[in-house]
Amino acid sequence: MKFGIPTAPLSTIAFQSVVQEDTEYFGVPLRFVYTPHPVVSMRPSVLRGYIEGKDAVTGRPLIEEVLEALTKPYTEDESKNLARVRPIPERPRLLEAGTEEKLLQLFVERGWTDGLPIVLPTEERVAKMLAGTRQPPDKLVGKAFMVDTQENLRITVETVAIAAVMAGARPEHLPVLLAIATTGQPAIQPSTLPFASGLLVNGPIRNEIGMNAGMGALGPYNLANAAIGRTWTLMSIVWGYARRKRTFWTSQGNNFTYNNLCMAENEERSVWEPFHVQKGHKREESVVSLFRGWNLLNSTGAAARRSWGEEVKLQMQALPALYSAATLILDPMLARHLKEYEGFQTPLEVGRWISENVKMTAQQFWTNDIIDMLVAPLAMSGVQPYAGWKQVPAETLIAPYHRPDKINILVVGGETSPLWKISDFDYTTTASIDKWR
Amino acid sequence: MTNPSLMSVLNPEAQRTPATEGSGAGVQSWQMAPRPSSLDGKTVYLVNQGFGGSDLFMEQFQAWFAEHMPSVKTILKRKTGFIFRDDTTDLWKEIKANGDAVIFGVAG
Repeated sequence: MKFGIPTAPLSTIAFQSVVQEDTEYFGVPLRFVYTPHPVVSMRPSVLRGYIEGKDAVTGRPLIEEVLEALTKPYTEDESKNLARVRPIPERPRLLEAGTEEKLLQLFVERGWTDGLPIVLPTEERVAKMLAGTRQPPDKLVGKAFMVDTQENLRITVETVAIAAVMAGARPEHLPVLLAIATTGQPAIQPSTLPFASGLLVNGPIRNEIGMNAGMGALGPYNLANAAIGRTWTLMSIVWGYARRKRTFWTSQGNNFTYNNLCMAENEERSVWEPFHVQKGHKREESVVSLFRGWNLLNSTGAAARRSWGEEVKLQMQALPALYSAATLILDPMLARHLKEYEGFQTPLEVGRWISENVKMTAQQFWTNDIIDMLVAPLAMSGVQPYAGWKQVPAETLIAPYHRPDKINILVVGGETSPLWKISDFDYTTTASIDKWR
Repeated sequence: MTNPSLMSVLNPEAQRTPATEGSGAGVQSWQMAPRPSSLDGKTVYLVNQGFGGSDLFMEQFQAWFAEHMPSVKTILKRKTGFIFRDDTTDLWKEIKANGDAVIFGVAG
């Protein structure tokens, strides 16, 4: 939006390429000034040093650049539109033929792997993969937006099948992968933050394709879980969501992105309605639900000396409670215990208990960077309960998981112990698998 | 005759399609905001966009102005709306009415 206010925009040097990409797309000749990187967590004296130091691109004193940006008139030449139409390169369907060794090396060089060996997507292998769906190879599955170039990606059935072959998936896994691709949600989120993703499969297809919802469901013991999770990651990497310093800036990364917590719900052993039924689907429908967050805490004991509730309170106080989101993965044995001995008739009742009983001080809530970045603007605009939480004394206890419906309860595991996992993962969407069979 | 040791594999990249929404392509030139000849006696809004540490950065900028250009009045503000969206209007209207310039940043 244009307001006609002289502005000096600043960025750290880490995002120079983003500024360049945006300038080429939007065309506005903004006078960006670049500080060193990072700003977050730096002491005031360091930040003062940035201001009194040099522009990280031009090498000129930063303050001079800022003052010039605000006071030097734009010349006619400088006001020229900088947008340019970038030609879309040809995308040959086939790569140049080569030996297996050379092609595998090419995939590594192009960044088309997650670091592990991939299966080369030969025409024969992709054709076999495509037998996993009745849909034609050229059918549009979805689009994906690229934050660096502002371009869209056209994802077809064949595009997904290629990634599936590379990951070692089987044809029967393809409908799940096509369903994931319809969402446009990447496994690897472009960010400086170490985002992770999660996926849960519900419905008959879990058993038809041999997914593990029982013992070791979240470990490396099952082809379907492993290959489906890995394919989602390869989709992200190969399609462009992990281009270093262009769409990917996370300093440490997140190990969950190897497999995205790919799991199936143990519907047969759960005492509650399956997750997808809670979300309005029929039990006989096969769907995949996606999640996004950062952290996953394992229960380190079986709460023998401390009640489940006390243990959960301690764990959930350690998470940011962003938008009240949390996802609990309970072993069926624990779900049964909670229903039979503690009276929780539905997962929503568990969510209500958490919502009412997990508390933290307002200070703890607001001094989390993620909360400040994403929730404080809601408080500023009067959205409750956040606006109220900004007004209370710092030591006031608040109930940050204020929406029981945002607390997801999944039942996964093999009933060898009544254990659980707690995460800050938010539920994002559910997609139909059946329409891609 | 084909070489049996050579393999033919499919291109794993997705087909890119050009974006058009918001593109500046086709615009001849931009009418940038007129600049004051100096900031003496002017009001400069120091707007942090909400990324961690950007508020502290702007506080340091305010301290710098107080020491080195005391005739400049500075006002600290935080961008309203979502951090990653161009969705602010109230603050920009306030600055348009009461200010002369903006220093805006800084993520990372």
